[in-house]
Amino acid sequence: MDRRIFLQVAAAAPLTASPADQPVYRVVSAYKPAAQPGMPGPYPGQVIRVHSENSIDTATAQVNAQQVKRMIATGMTALTGDSRAEDAWARFIKPNDVVGIKINCSGAPQIRSSPEVVGAIAESLIAVGVPAKQIYVYERFQNQLQSVDYPKYLPAGVNLHAAETSRSSILGYDPKTYVETSFFGEDDTRSNVMRLVSETLTKIVNVPNLKEHQASGVTGCLKNVAYGNYSNVARSHSFEKTNTLTFIGTLAAAEPVRSRVVLNIMDGLRGVWHAGPFSEMPRFRFFPKQLMIGTDPVAMDHMLIDVIEEKRKAEGAVSIWDRSMSHVGRDNSDPNINHFIREPGHVEYAGKLGLGVYDKERIRLKVLEL
Amino acid sequence: MLLLLAVLPGLFWDAAPDTAPALKGAGIAQIAVPRSRVGAWKAVDGISVRPADLDGATKLLAPLVNYRMQEATATAAPWVIANGWKFIRRPDDRYYYDVAGKQTALAAAEAFAYAVPALIRSDADGLQPLGQMLHFLAGVPGDPLPAVADIGYIDDGSALSGEVMNLMVRNNLLFKLVRAPDKSLKLNVQLGSRDYPLADAKNPGTMAHQVRYHLTDDKRSLRIYGSPVVVARLTGSGDHLRLHLLNYAGAARKVDGIRVRVLGQFSKHQLWMADGAGVDLMDYTVDDQATEFTLPELKMYAVVDLSR
Repeated sequence: MDRRIFLQVAAAAPLTASPADQPVYRVVSAYKPAAQPGMPGPYPGQVIRVHSENSIDTATAQVNAQQVKRMIATGMTALTGDSRAEDAWARFIKPNDVVGIKINCSGAPQIRSSPEVVGAIAESLIAVGVPAKQIYVYERFQNQLQSVDYPKYLPAGVNLHAAETSRSSILGYDPKTYVETSFFGEDDTRSNVMRLVSETLTKIVNVPNLKEHQASGVTGCLKNVAYGNYSNVARSHSFEKTNTLTFIGTLAAAEPVRSRVVLNIMDGLRGVWHAGPFSEMPRFRFFPKQLMIGTDPVAMDHMLIDVIEEKRKAEGAVSIWDRSMSHVGRDNSDPNINHFIREPGHVEYAGKLGLGVYDKERIRLKVLEL
Repeated sequence: MLLLLAVLPGLFWDAAPDTAPALKGAGIAQIAVPRSRVGAWKAVDGISVRPADLDGATKLLAPLVNYRMQEATATAAPWVIANGWKFIRRPDDRYYYDVAGKQTALAAAEAFAYAVPALIRSDADGLQPLGQMLHFLAGVPGDPLPAVADIGYIDDGSALSGEVMNLMVRNNLLFKLVRAPDKSLKLNVQLGSRDYPLADAKNPGTMAHQVRYHLTDDKRSLRIYGSPVVVARLTGSGDHLRLHLLNYAGAARKVDGIRVRVLGQFSKHQLWMADGAGVDLMDYTVDDQATEFTLPELKMYAVVDLSR
């Protein structure tokens, strides 16, 4: 069936194949929201940016692990107002928690949650009393997870976990917790949350990268907890006009994900400003040399949009808000050509679902230099 | 007694009797041969022979999945080549497959799922997998129950109509052929009617989507989640259902888990799975509308009996 014919069906069949811009979602979950859900958490609208010229060597891409630890500690105390990093972490994590560190390896090996950042987070969790065996560094795809040498940087006993040990396996997902929708008449209409998330973890620390995304515009906090925790999500961007606008926020807002993601630490040591989330073309990588920390994924992703926009403007590339079909094509080695119409509006949409603050006048960005 | 009722496919073998050791090595003890070879084969111990003639029989396509990675398509769904619609259209025809290697096993399973005594002509590489599958099928009790149908389909016999049926089978839309609309069914479909104009039927995929839309997913007796290459057949009535699950990519790779939803409350189950020792259903749930379970792996073929 070609695209044109499909859209005819979609228009005629709103229940099984909703029009591309008006998907209908059914959230199936037995999990109740926490008294204070992790998103937007206790610091809505607040974003801490810690920048350090010494955080990464741009010639070798070597990360300065000690400087990264200082950046995280500085950012955490700036977020909470505590004088000690341990006290700041203790506001989010208790020793009896089972904590997931949701990394992002979709652009690995070049662009991924830096193992130095992940290692520092795991050490911080242990410092507040969480046993290593109660910490899970996790990602959906095992082949991506294994493409980065995380064990070298993690304290002994920390678990590595992937939902899909073979691609498309459903066994790592919870059959009773899912978001159901039909975008394009696909027969498998369910996106299930990872079993690890629903059955094991009590808290999640989200560690996205700083990246442009060809379909969603950016791939930051929201997309990493949405598409990174659920199955069968690529179906949302099968065509030039995608459903990422509403799907990302809907997944992120579903329980238990919304309640359990208590902290976001965006790894912006490296970044991708075009053709993301992968990083197949080195010319589109850059080095923002920063970490962003907060509990509000919407506010943080709004800041991410600004970083990507600023870089693209400096490179002479069209805005990620551009929706012209003349800029849609297969050859995205040209920074003005993209596979999809981007949907950076997914961040504002998530804000409307209560996941955080999108209004820039209400976002308090604190920039720290180390 | 039920074992006797199972309709088994069989091997059509046109090689000389000196190939008997290969057949015995594959555990195949019954074959169909060209009439001209019956005499020679009668002298071979341990092989039961019957005459067969492929002339006039309908040749089936080799069941498989063509991923067509080189073609841009509107969906990422792979192209499943299945013969179920032919069996539904003409259940009493004589059929044969001409397949090789592991596809012999899938062909046997497909024919068995539709209770069609098809013949399978194979190369030497196909003997072992076919023998194993036939051995498995012989252990599955017969299933004389009728097919479960949500849709009544008025087939005009045209190629176009056949392709719509093919797409409905591949999309696990359960239908049976009717001569006129049957009010006992949830939906009736006739090409050329207002809801199913012939112009739309020129794209059978579009038509299958239309049928699905009009039926609605909630009313579908069967849903399969987790794989686009698994086609199911559901038979039974009332207190007992039988679900046949065919992995059309099974000659190359197993499916790591599918979730199945069947309308109705069925608290008991029994699983038969080819090459699946130790596998059982997982996450079995029964609510007020439906029964759901996960089959953790599907190499090629499984049968699930559900009962109240």
